[in-house]
Amino acid sequence: MQVTVKLYALFRWRLFREAVREYPPGAAVSDVARDLEITETEIGIVLVNGLHADLGHILQEGDLVSLMPRIGGG
Amino acid sequence: MSTENNQQSTNPAGVLYRRCTVDLETGSVQLAGVPCANLEDVLGGFGRSFQILAARDITRAYSPENPLIVNTGLLTGSNVMTGMRSYFSAYSPLKKSGAGLPAAMWSAGSGNFGNKLKWTGVDEVIFENRSEGPVYAVFRDGADGPVVELKPADHLLGLTGHEKIMTLSREYADAHFAVIGPAGENYGSNYMGAVILSTDNQLKSGEPKSRFAGRGGMGSLMGYKNLIAIVAQSPDKLDRITPAMRDVNRDIIKSLGSARFQPVSQGGGGGTWANIEVLQAFHAVPLNNFRPKGNDDVERLYRDNVEKDFEVVSEGCFRCGIRCHNNLFHRNPDGSRGKLAAKFDFEPLILFGSNLGIHDATKVTQLIHLCDLMGMDAISLGTTISYLLDYNERHPDRRLLNGATFGDFDLIRELVEQTGRGKHELLGQGVRRLSEQVGETSYAMHVKGLELPAYLPDTNPGYIFAIAGGHMSMGTHMLYAKEGKKTVDEWVQAITTGGLLQVGYDMIGLCKFVGVGIGHDLIVNGIREATGLEFSSAEIVASVRRAYLRGLALELRQGFAEEEYTLPSQVLADPNPNVALPSFIDEAFLEELRRRVWSVFLPEMEGLVPERKN
Ligand code: SF4
Repeated sequence: MQVTVKLYALFRWRLFREAVREYPPGAAVSDVARDLEITETEIGIVLVNGLHADLGHILQEGDLVSLMPRIGGG
Repeated sequence: MSTENNQQSTNPAGVLYRRCTVDLETGSVQLAGVPCANLEDVLGGFGRSFQILAARDITRAYSPENPLIVNTGLLTGSNVMTGMRSYFSAYSPLKKSGAGLPAAMWSAGSGNFGNKLKWTGVDEVIFENRSEGPVYAVFRDGADGPVVELKPADHLLGLTGHEKIMTLSREYADAHFAVIGPAGENYGSNYMGAVILSTDNQLKSGEPKSRFAGRGGMGSLMGYKNLIAIVAQSPDKLDRITPAMRDVNRDIIKSLGSARFQPVSQGGGGGTWANIEVLQAFHAVPLNNFRPKGNDDVERLYRDNVEKDFEVVSEGCFRCGIRCHNNLFHRNPDGSRGKLAAKFDFEPLILFGSNLGIHDATKVTQLIHLCDLMGMDAISLGTTISYLLDYNERHPDRRLLNGATFGDFDLIRELVEQTGRGKHELLGQGVRRLSEQVGETSYAMHVKGLELPAYLPDTNPGYIFAIAGGHMSMGTHMLYAKEGKKTVDEWVQAITTGGLLQVGYDMIGLCKFVGVGIGHDLIVNGIREATGLEFSSAEIVASVRRAYLRGLALELRQGFAEEEYTLPSQVLADPNPNVALPSFIDEAFLEELRRRVWSVFLPEMEGLVPERKN
């Protein structure tokens, strides 16, 4: 199935801004992270179709996955 | 700090700290060993200073009775990484209640001043009254203990903060400095003066790389007291690093929390700058006075775009491996590194950039640099100017001051300079007073009289329970973007358990960028290794909680009313459709949140501060 992946900040600098990628049916967000060699501890925010999700979220054909690094301030 | 008979201790009463009381009016100096009354006294920072402030009835910030308390934390001057914080506490000239009483505030900064002060043998200085003429205070490590002197400071007047630091550094070797800029000197018309703290890197390079204790106008209070600078002179007194201490510091560097702030070249997230890109994904980056338009303007301030024109250098404070500073340098025509342009962190970058309608990094660096030299709190000034620009845009026929609106760089630059020089009281008094004066309060971005930092109030109802700066004293400012939490249950939980503990770092002397919870083993181990004191995680958490609640109780005592625990009314009345996160805060939400949070806090607050006597 095809999934659009959007990356932010250091993930984007390292890889790409947006790309359509192929994954087998039943793939989860964690499979996308593994495919891109982004470690789970680096990830701060996951969105699937604009909604907050976790790494175990199972993806569907045509989903938009956004991966963002951990951020902080204060 | 010392313990009775130099024994290891688990009992706060067995710990003594050294207090120095300086009467600026008479010049008298008293040194005393004070036994700690509780763990807040031991941990230090605002946990201790707020107990002193609570014992005073202060009705006007600019009054001789309002003390300026300068102190350090338990781990300041220790080998624990980032342990160099100093704290400035007083009743604030800027933050005041609707009843007209000043709020107790503290402000924290890094640099090396806190270390040096501690190494002179002083844990806390209380500056009482005010000097008739401008003076600076010198604390020296003498053969028989700390030596304290007041000296005339006329030669420092009118200089920028950086110039004051460099002037003093030529006279005092092995010293660090806390100074005010022109803004603090013009305290009568500028209530947002910062305390400017020197760094090693600044003294070595001669470049203006200061750190700031900005919030609440502590620099303006120094100006009122005619205290222009503080010098702390001592040789470095770091203990030998034990293997256990090495482990503590290794854990700090390896913690996921601190990794966010470490240099990109080191595999880190590159500091708070990365927040822009993540928040922009939700169109939640403040733009034109906290009102994002849903466009891409802010992308020009992304790191990789700025790197096209500037060299970004990761630097840090004394021996800190986190190195969170992003200093921008101009590039010479031959490609080599040129002059320092400014430091680029999320707050100043947004509050002097997109939030003023300026998206050109070169222009933003100039505004940040100027604000720093004048010695103002970047958050308070940026947010007050954005209000003015908004007002002027709404009223083209009756614009205020020089008529600047969003994006008017030259006019905005003039406003920054003139405010720093004490020429624009309208701006220097902060956004609450300004908006009340012109009669349009709905889009004045403050909570309880303190200007909001660069995180949208639309995404953070936790602001209403922050006691000393919206994101510095309530750690909920990115909760919505990070976790999408939007129920009252989730927010009550966040505010009353994790969020308030953020203030613990403003007690113990470490930077928040260590990035672990205040009850983490790393903190317990760091305290044990550095001081020999043994406190459990539960004891530390309970102490931090009490300190926070004492601060909240002090707010109530200074007349903050129920209706002041709210957000700018524009957020409630006119939700911004351009923010890509669903709007969730309305009056009913806030009312329920307040009711439930107070029901947790109020019983615990009983007896934490004495009643006002008048
Ligand atoms: S984390 Fe940053 S501000 Fe804190 S001590 Fe280290 S370099 Fe300084």
